[in-house]
Amino acid sequence: MKNRKFVIFAGLICLALMVALLPLGSACGPEEAKTLKIGITTPSSGKAAEKGAPMGNANRDAIEYVNAELGGAAGYPIELMWLDNGYDAAKVVTNVNRFMDEGCLMFATASSAMMSASMEIANRAEFPGLASFTAPSLYRPPKHIYGQMPDYGDDALAFASYFMDNIWQESRKPKFALHLLNNPTGYGARDAFKAKADELGIEIISVDEHAATTTSEMESLTRIKASNPDVLYISSTPAPTAVIIKNAYDLGLYPGVTIGLGHAGITKALVDIAGADIVEGVYGVFPTVNWGDDVPGMAKMTEYCRNLHPEDEGNMDYITSWAQSLIMVEILRVAVGNVGYDALAKGDVDAWRALETQGIQKLKDYDVGGLHGPVNYTAGDNRLSKSVRVFQIQNGVITPISGWVEAPVVKYEDFDWFGK
Amino acid sequence: MTLPSGTRNYTYAQDMAILRTKTQWVLMAVFLVLLLTAPLYLGNYLLSVANLIGITLIAATGLNILTGYCGQLSVGHAGFIAVGAYTSAVLTNRLELPFLVGLICAGLMAGLVGLIFGIPSIRVKGFYLAITTIAAQFIIIWVINHWSSVTGGFVGIPVPEASIGGFTFRGEASQFYLIFGIVMLVIFFAKNLARTRVGRAFIAIRDNDLAAQVMGINIFYYKLLAFFIGCFLAGIAGSLMAHWIGFMNAEHFSLTESILYIGMIIIGGLGTTLGPIFGVVFIRLLQQVLTVMVVPSLESTFTALPSGFATGVAPMLFGLIIVLFLILEPRGLAHRWSLFKSAYRLWPFSY
Repeated sequence: MKNRKFVIFAGLICLALMVALLPLGSACGPEEAKTLKIGITTPSSGKAAEKGAPMGNANRDAIEYVNAELGGAAGYPIELMWLDNGYDAAKVVTNVNRFMDEGCLMFATASSAMMSASMEIANRAEFPGLASFTAPSLYRPPKHIYGQMPDYGDDALAFASYFMDNIWQESRKPKFALHLLNNPTGYGARDAFKAKADELGIEIISVDEHAATTTSEMESLTRIKASNPDVLYISSTPAPTAVIIKNAYDLGLYPGVTIGLGHAGITKALVDIAGADIVEGVYGVFPTVNWGDDVPGMAKMTEYCRNLHPEDEGNMDYITSWAQSLIMVEILRVAVGNVGYDALAKGDVDAWRALETQGIQKLKDYDVGGLHGPVNYTAGDNRLSKSVRVFQIQNGVITPISGWVEAPVVKYEDFDWFGK
Repeated sequence: MTLPSGTRNYTYAQDMAILRTKTQWVLMAVFLVLLLTAPLYLGNYLLSVANLIGITLIAATGLNILTGYCGQLSVGHAGFIAVGAYTSAVLTNRLELPFLVGLICAGLMAGLVGLIFGIPSIRVKGFYLAITTIAAQFIIIWVINHWSSVTGGFVGIPVPEASIGGFTFRGEASQFYLIFGIVMLVIFFAKNLARTRVGRAFIAIRDNDLAAQVMGINIFYYKLLAFFIGCFLAGIAGSLMAHWIGFMNAEHFSLTESILYIGMIIIGGLGTTLGPIFGVVFIRLLQQVLTVMVVPSLESTFTALPSGFATGVAPMLFGLIIVLFLILEPRGLAHRWSLFKSAYRLWPFSY
C-alpha cells in the first residue's frame, strides 16, 4: 500500500515537472543562427501523391540551390520546414498551425484542395500563403492567400482571347461547348466563361461534366456534335481529357472543331494516353515553360533535378514547385530589403503583416528565371503570375505558339452566383 | 468493473459511481486540471492536434456505440460526419442561423440520415450491412457534390467561426474549450448509456440478435436507435469540424476516413468507453509523429533511397498496426489498460 502511494506520488511529481519544464525546452540551447523560415506542405502521400511527391521534391531542391549558391535571401539562409499532408484536410490544418507556431514567415501548398482546407485558419491569423494550383475561391475576395499561377478560369479566358484574336475568322459569335471535370479544375473554367462570355463575344451552347474516372463520353459528345459547336473546351486532367478527345475523334467531331485545353490537361501524359495522331492540332494553355526550353532558369533547375531527384525530370509539376520556392525566396528578399531582418525575425503576426505588405505586395516584374510568366502584385488581385502561353500539339510535341498571354482579373465576388 | 482489494460498496449509489476510490478522484482531478490548463502551455500546433483528437473522438464514440456496443458495422461514418458538417455550414452560412442551432441541427440531420441507412439493418447484418453503409458514404458525398446551389458543390462552402451569445471561438485555444466541453459530455453520455436499459439492449443485440428478440427486445427499434445515436454524434463532430476548419469540401470525407474510424475503434477496443479514446489518441498522434518527425527525418537521412519513400511509411505502418492488433490483441488498447490496472492493483504480488 505504501509503495503504491509512493508510485502515484512520484508519478504525479514527474508529470508536473514535465509540464512545468516543457516551455524551457525551446529556451535552452545554443543561440539560433539568423535564418528566414518558411513552411511548405505537399500531398507527398495519399491520393494526389503522383503530383505532390515531385512538387515537394522540387520545393526542397530549389531551397537547397538558393542556400548553396545564392546565399539564401538577402544574405540570410532559408530554413525550410516541409511537411507531407497526405491530401488530408485535417492534417493540413495542423500543418499550417505548426508553421505558425514554429515562426514561419509564410507557407505554401501545392494543391488548391489543400489550400481550401487551410485558408480560413491562415486568413483568420493573417498568415500569408501561396498556392501553386489555384481556384478563384481561394482569393476572391482577396485576403491573405495568393496564387502563384493563373487559375483554371484564367486558362479559359486566355484561350478564348487567343482564339478570338488569332483563330476565329467569321463575323458571328463562335459557339463554345464546355466539357469540365467535376471539381474546381472544371468549375473554375465554367465560372470564368459564365462571367466573361458576353464580353469576349462568344456563345456557350452546352456545359457537360465528367468524372476523373470516366471511360466513355460518347453520349455527351453525341449531343455536343448535334449542336454544331465551333470550339470544344476541356478543363480536366490528362486521362479523362484523352478519353474525351478519343471519343470526339471516333464520332468525327474532331478534327473539325477546335479543341482547347486548360493547363491541367495539356501534358505529355495526354499525348501518351490518347496517341499523338489523335491529339494532333489540339490547343492548350500552360503557365510554365517546357523542360529543355531556352530560359535562364532552366539549367540550374535541370542540374539539381538530375542530381537530387532524377526520376522527376520531365515532370511539369516539378517546374511549378521549383518556381514556387524561388518566388517565396524573392518575397523574403524584397521584404528584408524593405523592412530589415529584425522586423521579420520573430515570425509572429507583425512579421507576417510586414512580409505581406512589404514583400508580397511589393513584387514587381520578377521573372522566375523565365520558368513561368512574370510575377507582379496588383492591388486587389492576389494572382501573382497572370500569364499563360498557348501551345499546340504538333507532331506529338507540345509546342508553344504564343508569347505570354495575360488573363484579365475577374471580380467573381461581384456576381450573385459566385460560390453558390 | 473490478474493484481494488479492500474497496466495498454499501449503497446502490456507490455501486453505480463511475469514480469509486480517492485515487480515481485525485487522478481525474489532476487530469482535468491538466486538460483545462492545456492552452496555457500548449502552442497552437499542439492545440490544433488536440482539437482534431477531440472532434475525432466524438465521431469515434458514436461509431463505437453503433458498432462496438450494438454490433452494427458501419463503413460510411465519414459520410454521416459530412452530413453534420454541411448542415451546420449551410445553416450558419447561407441562413445565418446561430452556431448552436447549426450544431444541434447537424446532429439531428445526421441522425435522421443514419436512420434511413439503418433501416436495412433489420434484414441484413455483418458484411451485407457494411455494403449498405458504404452506399451511404457514396450517396451522401454524391448529393453534396451535386446539390451545389446549397452545398457549394465541388468548390465547397465557407463556414463562419463558432460563436455563442456574442462570444466568438476564435483561435485554437478557445475552440479547444468548446470542443473538449462537448467531448466530456459525449464521453459521460456514452459511459452512462452502456449501463442503461438501452445499452444492455444494444449489447444483447450485438451478442445474439435472435436471442435478444426472443427476450422481448425490439431489435428494429434498438438498431435504429443505435444508428440515430451513432450518426447524431457523427453529425456533432462534423459541425465542430466545419467551424474549426472554416471551409468545407466533400473531399474531406473520403471512404478512407470511414475505414480509419473503424481502425481507431478496433485499436482502442470495441465496446468500451475507453476504447475510442485510446484508439483516437493513438492514431492521431501516430499520424502527427510520422508527418512531423519521422517522414522529414527519413527523407533527409536516407538520401540514397528513392525520393518520397518515407511518405509511404505512414500508411504501411498504419496497416501493420491494425494487423498486429487484430492478431495479438483483438480487444484493443482498452483491454491492455484493464490488464495493466489489474496487475498494478496486485503489485508487487503476481496474484
